[in-house]
Amino acid sequence: MSDNVIETIGLSKQYDGKGGCKQITLQVPRGSVFGFLGQNGAGKSTFVRTMLGLLHPTAGSATMLGYPIGSVDSRRKVGYLPELFRYPDWLTGRQLLKHHGEICGLSKSQRDRVIGEVVEVVGLGGRVDERIRGYSKGMQQRIGLACALLSDPELIFLDEPTSALDPIGRKEVRELIARLRDQGKTIFLNSHLLSEMESVCDYVGIIHRSELVTSGEWRKLSAVKPQVEITIEQATADWHARLPFVTDQRLLKEREGQATWLVTLDQEGRVPVLLQELVASGAAVHEVVRKQQSLEEVFLYWVQQKERETHVANH
Amino acid sequence: MWPIIKITYREMISKRIFTITVLMSLAFLLLFGVATWFAAREIRETMGAASGDAMMMKRFFSTQLLGMGLYFGSIIAALLAILSSVGSIASEIESHQIDTWLARAMPRRQYMLGKFLGLASMLILYTAMLYLGLIAINQWVGGGEMAVQLRATQVMTGLGYFLLLPVILVCVSLLMSSMTTTVTGGIFLIILYGISFIGGFVEQLGSLIHQESLVQIGIVSSLIFPTDSLFRLSMLSLFEAVDNPLSFASQGIFGTSSPPSAAMLYYTLGYGLVALLIAIRIFQRRDV
Repeated sequence: MSDNVIETIGLSKQYDGKGGCKQITLQVPRGSVFGFLGQNGAGKSTFVRTMLGLLHPTAGSATMLGYPIGSVDSRRKVGYLPELFRYPDWLTGRQLLKHHGEICGLSKSQRDRVIGEVVEVVGLGGRVDERIRGYSKGMQQRIGLACALLSDPELIFLDEPTSALDPIGRKEVRELIARLRDQGKTIFLNSHLLSEMESVCDYVGIIHRSELVTSGEWRKLSAVKPQVEITIEQATADWHARLPFVTDQRLLKEREGQATWLVTLDQEGRVPVLLQELVASGAAVHEVVRKQQSLEEVFLYWVQQKERETHVANH
Repeated sequence: MWPIIKITYREMISKRIFTITVLMSLAFLLLFGVATWFAAREIRETMGAASGDAMMMKRFFSTQLLGMGLYFGSIIAALLAILSSVGSIASEIESHQIDTWLARAMPRRQYMLGKFLGLASMLILYTAMLYLGLIAINQWVGGGEMAVQLRATQVMTGLGYFLLLPVILVCVSLLMSSMTTTVTGGIFLIILYGISFIGGFVEQLGSLIHQESLVQIGIVSSLIFPTDSLFRLSMLSLFEAVDNPLSFASQGIFGTSSPPSAAMLYYTLGYGLVALLIAIRIFQRRDV
């Protein structure tokens, strides 16, 4: 079996040729946390719902855990927390979990054990026997999370899993995601909260206006624009003019003769050459800090690049 | 499929409409009992029991009163069937409650069949209790004056037809629920039921006054939505006595002077089955 739990080839789900997701080709490695990033309405949830067979694709193909999407087998070891988490409010949390457990084929003793475990994991221990209609939004999201984890799935889709949670709840969910990854589970995380994604995701896919802009290990994606912050003294104002590998430079601050620049290089590995050139020109280098781009910066970079490409194509 | 049946039971019981219907049905049975008791007393006091005419009148009144009760009972059962099932798929799609169920490793046809079996079995239980309650009131409260002479086989055959009504309605409601919104489906079904309801009366009236065109209108309305024919078959089974030279099954507005043919019964069964199969087909193919 392939080591990718999700493989899609040109998967599209569009409405009258518009919206949704279009020509999505990506792979999600087993045991990873994959962040699917995009603005509201970019097509993230449409993609997830298509993978889960809730929507029928208009083009392309995909497999999930080795089975074609839409088949019952593809969903056998999958958990799902939807973005619009709505559960029958006339059930108690425990009744909801029992029914889901029955559908998953768990025996009574397995159900009782697993329900006890998942309600503790999601922090609903004391409230699970109350009716869902009395739950706050955050509690409904927690019971949804418990549902997603109930069948001990190999692949878990979490669509905006912290949208209704307070900061403590968000932190708990981030920790839970990390624990699940450590257990070898694959998490497909849909979110536009990039700062939250940054700490948990190994891989990302960026979707913009229905199309996948890029995907891969996000720290490698961030290397598309290597940057360093460098503090130098006694340099000429145009020190960068004779360094062709410096694609951009911005003066951040100047104090007591020392200037701090944000320098963008054309590729990784140019930092030693940059330092040699500066020293050779008579400048004193006080500090060099490799700038780790945030996920937000990576996201904005790719989205803006896509926008530029679209603009050029349209004109 | 069993978990879906159980959820459907739980949902129906938790819905206010079901509780209200059960309570109102009990009130209806009470009212029917009171009416039957007073009618029996009135007949006893005014007609006596001696003459043959009086006997005929008693039997006419008793079948009419029971027929009226059963007709109203069939309307309650039909409305409960429509209102409880027309939103069973559509409202869950509208609210996205269905997402987490369908994201499980369960074919959609199982979900639909689970819904059907849950709704149909619950409605069969309710309708049977209503039907048997009306018969019991007629037999025990009506006494010698108002009790229709019935054999157990007649009661059971009549019950069989009577119970098919909510089952067919659930099939068509699920079809509506799988292809449109709750409100649209509900309106459409109630109009269809109304066509069948009016068409049934028109057909019986046409038969009584020998107007073939009215009978044809009734037949066409039964083809459009064949639920009324089930009620007529039920009445025919219940009131038609083979050893009685004068049939009470054909008398009055609730009687069956134009009996549905066997072909109509098969058509009705096929109608429900096809509706359910199309509902499954549409549900499997639609986006939720």
